[in-house]
Amino acid sequence: MDHLKGLSQILGSNLIIEREQKIPYMTDASYYQGDLPMAVALPDTPEQISKVMRYCQENSIPVVARGGGTALTGSSIPLKDMLVISLARFDRILEVHPEDRYAIVEPGVKLDSLNQHLEKFGFFYPPDPASSIAATVGGSISTNAGGLRASMYGTTKNWILGLEVVLPDGNLITTGGKVLKRTAGYDLTALMVGAEGTLGIITKAIVKIWPIVESKGRILAYYDSIEKVGSSISELKGKGITPLIAEFLDKITMHSLSQTRGLKFPEDANYMLIIDIASTKESIGRELNQAEEILKKFYPISTEITTDQEAMDRIYEARKGAYSSLLSERSSMSERVVIGDIVVPASELPNALRESEEKVKKYSLTVALFGHISDGNIHANIYADIADQDHMNRVESFQHDFAMIAIRHGGSVSAEHGVGLEKKELLKMELEETNNQHVMEIMRSIRKAFDPNGIMNRGKMFDQ
Amino acid sequence: MISDLFEELESEVEKCISCGFCESVCPTLPAAGYDLWKGARGRVIMGKELLSAAKGNGTLNVSDSFYSCLDCHACLYVCPAGVNAGKVSHISKSIIAGDGIPGNQNPLARMIAMVTMHYMNPLGIGEKCAGWFTGMKADPDSTDLLYTGNMYQLMAYTDGMNRMRERMGKGMSKMMSSLIARFPGLIRLAPMKKDEATALKMDSTLSNIALLLRKSGISFNYLAEDEPYPGTFIYDLGYLDLFEQYARKVAKILRDSGARRIITVDPHTYDLLKNTYPKYVEGFDLEVVHYLDLIDGSSFSSGSESITYHEPCHFSLRQDAYNRPLETLRSVASVSLPPRSGRRTKCCGGPDELIFPELTHRVSQNRYDELRDTGAGKIVTACPICFSNLNKGPEVVEIGDYLASRLKN
Repeated sequence: MDHLKGLSQILGSNLIIEREQKIPYMTDASYYQGDLPMAVALPDTPEQISKVMRYCQENSIPVVARGGGTALTGSSIPLKDMLVISLARFDRILEVHPEDRYAIVEPGVKLDSLNQHLEKFGFFYPPDPASSIAATVGGSISTNAGGLRASMYGTTKNWILGLEVVLPDGNLITTGGKVLKRTAGYDLTALMVGAEGTLGIITKAIVKIWPIVESKGRILAYYDSIEKVGSSISELKGKGITPLIAEFLDKITMHSLSQTRGLKFPEDANYMLIIDIASTKESIGRELNQAEEILKKFYPISTEITTDQEAMDRIYEARKGAYSSLLSERSSMSERVVIGDIVVPASELPNALRESEEKVKKYSLTVALFGHISDGNIHANIYADIADQDHMNRVESFQHDFAMIAIRHGGSVSAEHGVGLEKKELLKMELEETNNQHVMEIMRSIRKAFDPNGIMNRGKMFDQ
Repeated sequence: MISDLFEELESEVEKCISCGFCESVCPTLPAAGYDLWKGARGRVIMGKELLSAAKGNGTLNVSDSFYSCLDCHACLYVCPAGVNAGKVSHISKSIIAGDGIPGNQNPLARMIAMVTMHYMNPLGIGEKCAGWFTGMKADPDSTDLLYTGNMYQLMAYTDGMNRMRERMGKGMSKMMSSLIARFPGLIRLAPMKKDEATALKMDSTLSNIALLLRKSGISFNYLAEDEPYPGTFIYDLGYLDLFEQYARKVAKILRDSGARRIITVDPHTYDLLKNTYPKYVEGFDLEVVHYLDLIDGSSFSSGSESITYHEPCHFSLRQDAYNRPLETLRSVASVSLPPRSGRRTKCCGGPDELIFPELTHRVSQNRYDELRDTGAGKIVTACPICFSNLNKGPEVVEIGDYLASRLKN
């Protein structure tokens, strides 16, 4: 039977089959280019997804679920003959319960839209990947997204109470619930977080919400060396201060933001540290001063404190767009930006950052460094000339060495972007280097238990 | 030159890293049911495809992706890399209009451009556009020219035109459009139905604008039946060569009238004359103002009525945000803005009305709901297109009418 005909009987006009209309689905925010999908489904009910999954299961049609298309590792692009299932039409916020600290939302809701809505209640949903303007609830759950505020609130996994999921065989299940505590068998909710659409398709999420902080302020500190940046943040945390946000940017990133956003930075600064402190109105000034004093111990070029919301928003937005802004700094049209994403314990940062810089020099690459420094998360944005094979080989070697730095310092090859296509080999390497090969077998078994025919996001995360 | 357009397109799309930020503010994406090629990022991706197809890598049927763009430029203000997906659409439409990518011409767009070239009015009804001025007197000696650009007047015909297209069906409508594009005179044979209630409303708004100017001591000339349409459609639909010829003709008419200062009444004409004409008409030296620039604020009685204001894209999202309407409203009422305002204002959907009426309807309903959710007693618009599309309840008023109601006795 013609599969397009079969799918169209389920989806009607919610199925896209024209070549031109399918082209934009080949791309996400990574540098990977996917294949033209066999079709794109835009279902609007979980039941429709169930029927589609049943059909795909019976006919061994591989599927990939798509949220906001902001993935950085190629996890949401289609490979050969895949059906894309877009969750975009699941865009409703269904319930908000501040008294019970949860909201029920559909997976296509954008994170910023959710927070704009929650603001009316005086609450917010903390996970804020830099792409939060475009990233969706479902996509960020599937990659266990982190973000700037992870410094204080942790990543997405800390904020998901329950899920409604369509399994690969079409069955609809709910996991977890509306309560903040629950210990009833295996935690299937946690299993779905970060699964990159390999175990099922999320159709609803019960997310934990939190009161908006009463007051916040920001310290900007500029440094000449990367070790001072790392040492400053380690000392800050060692003294018991947990910043709301702790971001660092290097000179290339600062320059790109001055080009694209018109921001100004001191000429002699090689690195910038952005520290946000959350507190009460009464004590915010004191806590900002206290934190600034700690930063000053490491001889910054300059520091400044601001509580001006507009100025803070400007820098926050610029930082969130840093990855895209970096393209303005490339030296040729064939250069792409490959974003590396490792994590180490915060105390290991000074050494990990220094070693990363050494590797940049070793491979003669241009790499912009920025990241969520408080939780030890470094993003190495590599300018990769896809038209130059030698250059691409050096990029690959750097990626390998950069990942090894994370492993050596007790961290991980993927902090918050997931695995997708990009880190399949690095995931294997991490498990081998830590003598954990058996974990890969357990993961394969889990995947097989959910999806015996291997139709869910085939070719991503690890090969079955 | 078409090669310049390809170059311009390449330099815009190559800046894009495909982060998708633009999709979050693109009004057509949700209105199109999240069909990505009718969203900002999708259009940039299709721009890249267009370049590839033009280099001989296969055929491409891409017209709807670009013609569905509202040209609002909301995407530009959230793009971290400074990519303007609206500009990508406009350049691509210009490439299509210039036959740079075969088989993609939009018959309706072409018809509108050709009829406008022929009659200096998109529907060939220029002589019917001066009715609102009946009983009023122009000052032929004034160097101030009131220039309506026929924009308010045309609003009475859009619904009728869409109904006619619906009745004809897609195939017949395409065929008729192609025929009229070849023989523009045929447009006069079409049973163009005027919506009398809209016509009366628009005439009344124009009368109120004239009243506001007079109350502020401005004496102006008006070209009445001889007033040409400014050419907005020709430019927006990408017929750049035709637009150049057309704009020169309009500029000559305006200059020959003895005008030194052009008083525009709508954002599209204001933006086109102020920002686009100087690029296409050599030596274009007429001063261009909006009528609110000339209004004497002391002629209004102040008040605290709760209103919300829908900022037109061509005022808020172009090079220099034009905030005079908002400032004027703030001086006479208590204004609350919807969440999407200022540099993030949201389009009313109007620019798609003739080519994708259903898309327009969904965008405008969405925007109307947002404006109504502010809880304000009135929704004030400052553009005939915005008014026509958002006029879904008695609380929607045009700024000219609202200000006239606030004139001191």
